[in-house]
Amino acid sequence: MEAALNEPPPWLEQMVLLAIPPAARESVAGDLWETYQSPYQYAAEALRTVPLVVLSQMRRHLNPLALMLQGALIFLCLGGPATLLFLPLLMLRDAYQPVTRPSPRRAIREAVLLSSGTMVLLFLFMSRHPPFPVRTGVDAFTWLSLFLAALFLSPFLCLFRAGLIMQGDRRKLLETDHVSKEALTGAYETFLKGAFCRNMLEGTALAFAAIAGFFFTWNTLLIGLFVLAAVYLLLETNPRLSSACDFVSLRAQYQRDLLRQEQLRRCLRWLWFAPVLMALQARLATTATDAQDMVIALLNGVAAAILCYLVATLNREYSGRVQEQIGFLDRMTER
Amino acid sequence: MESLGQFEQVVLTAILALDDNAYGVTIHAKVEELSRPKKVTRGAVYATLDRMEDKGLISSWLSEPTKERGGRSRRHYRIEKSGEKALRESARTAQRLIETIAQTLGGLAWKPR
Repeated sequence: MEAALNEPPPWLEQMVLLAIPPAARESVAGDLWETYQSPYQYAAEALRTVPLVVLSQMRRHLNPLALMLQGALIFLCLGGPATLLFLPLLMLRDAYQPVTRPSPRRAIREAVLLSSGTMVLLFLFMSRHPPFPVRTGVDAFTWLSLFLAALFLSPFLCLFRAGLIMQGDRRKLLETDHVSKEALTGAYETFLKGAFCRNMLEGTALAFAAIAGFFFTWNTLLIGLFVLAAVYLLLETNPRLSSACDFVSLRAQYQRDLLRQEQLRRCLRWLWFAPVLMALQARLATTATDAQDMVIALLNGVAAAILCYLVATLNREYSGRVQEQIGFLDRMTER
Repeated sequence: MESLGQFEQVVLTAILALDDNAYGVTIHAKVEELSRPKKVTRGAVYATLDRMEDKGLISSWLSEPTKERGGRSRRHYRIEKSGEKALRESARTAQRLIETIAQTLGGLAWKPR
């Protein structure tokens, strides 16, 4: 029982663990445990340490360009006050992003919850607004198709998540604990080449999308965001590997580049879906004020929620993969 | 070349002095020793370590989990070449300051306490 006296009470440790951002959890919680004297000392030390760790992780995960793009998207869709509220939340969310991919069970549960929620919402509205006689723009056939679509939404979303998980499982990683410097250099070079090609392709695609935006009369700020992102990607040069780098420096450089590229991708995924989200938001605003037709407003809202779910899912899955890769690199030693 | 803040110089010196044993707890203890009588919070040390790692001055990796840490790993730190260069430059500046103060305040007998 002597050991139990030298370790923090489980409930206190659990609370502290929850407060520490996952990226720093292993080392900070370990350090707090190592210097444990009493529950009071442990709690006081955690209170002094954790806020600074959270701030540091917020700064670490801050990508000014990504945050600017996200802020602009929120501003376009929800307006100024929402932007002021969401930006600190986004920064906090980035600091607490998990270091692993979401588990298959959790992923499937989320998909089922979303589709069941959609069905319940549709059912409630159908019972309050019967389809007969026909309401503005929504007839019985439309209702039936929407209900069936919601019914099939669950397997579709589950398949989507399962596909992402399987794709993630198939990817090749340097998962062994001992790796030679040459193997690490090879993996890093492959990553850099891939990132460069992808940036060039996506930059070009964004430029074409911006041109198309003029013809489809998109919001000027949105076109500006597409142009800005395209220019940024096209001007991004391929960093050169220093031959003088040793294993540890090379690994640190690789980790930094992995994180930077993922932050960029996360933001770009939202940008690609922004025109659709904005169109839905515009329709939502029109129907809610002009026609007062809550049914159409609800359908647009559901569509926007599903779209946001898909983008957020993609981001969480890919971000989890990168964090996992960074974790593998952290534990890797030179052969 | 990256110029260092005063606290960054202290943390880098602590890592340099600790060599292979540089991780959160030991770095904090060494920093407290070097900054006496000023108290330093561990959070400030972590924040500085993160910042310097992002600048490429130091690098880190996780060790094997140990029992005395509740089955958790240590994050070890090491100075990179750019960090070493920045620290040398800071030391040269400090040396020049000491010499100037010594000449002005008390001749060669003056020493920083």
